[in-house]
Amino acid sequence: MGMLRVMSRRGDDRVTWDEQKVLAGDPEATAAIREAERIFTQERAKGATAFRVEPGKPTQRIEQFDSTAEQIVMVPRVVGG
Amino acid sequence: MSFITQVLATLGWIVVAPLAISPIVWLILQPYFKGWSRAERRAADLLRDALTPEQFRQLVWRGYLEIPSPTEPQRVYRVPRTRGYIQVIENGRAVMRLCVQPVECLPDADVVVLHKLMIEANEENYLKKANKYLCIE
Repeated sequence: MGMLRVMSRRGDDRVTWDEQKVLAGDPEATAAIREAERIFTQERAKGATAFRVEPGKPTQRIEQFDSTAEQIVMVPRVVGG
Repeated sequence: MSFITQVLATLGWIVVAPLAISPIVWLILQPYFKGWSRAERRAADLLRDALTPEQFRQLVWRGYLEIPSPTEPQRVYRVPRTRGYIQVIENGRAVMRLCVQPVECLPDADVVVLHKLMIEANEENYLKKANKYLCIE
């Protein structure tokens, strides 16, 4: 299972997908992954940064949506305070 | 007699009026409280997922999270549990304070995760964005 978590004032909004079902051609899983990709692109356009976060592995910044990621966390743009 | 009645009536109103108003006040404020607590709960979930048990314990008990720099072995970033400056510790001494914040208002727990992710995977950009205040002895 993959999960996209987008930080917001509501906590974090989540979209999950099942890579195996996508590969098997499941339409719902395909729709979920498309939705996750759309949100990813939209948030990136707003200046958000995306990180691939997996237990036991170093956090990795990513530029492109990765459907094989276990978890992608998107953080809003930051500025000096 | 009438004076006592008036006093009792006034006292009665002092007790009854807040009781009568409180449901209305609660109805007005409830969505804000509910929304915020849900956001905080979700943020706390993400925080628990993002931290190791040791890091989580440190944050709860000490009030800050220490994140080692991925590029400078002697450097540690001290991120507070609530909003505030991030301390940069080098060789055990505070050398700098950083001020970095998200453009969007986030729950405190999410802000801690944000700093952690940025420092671990995007340190150069993080430092570029931060306002820096040097610590002078």
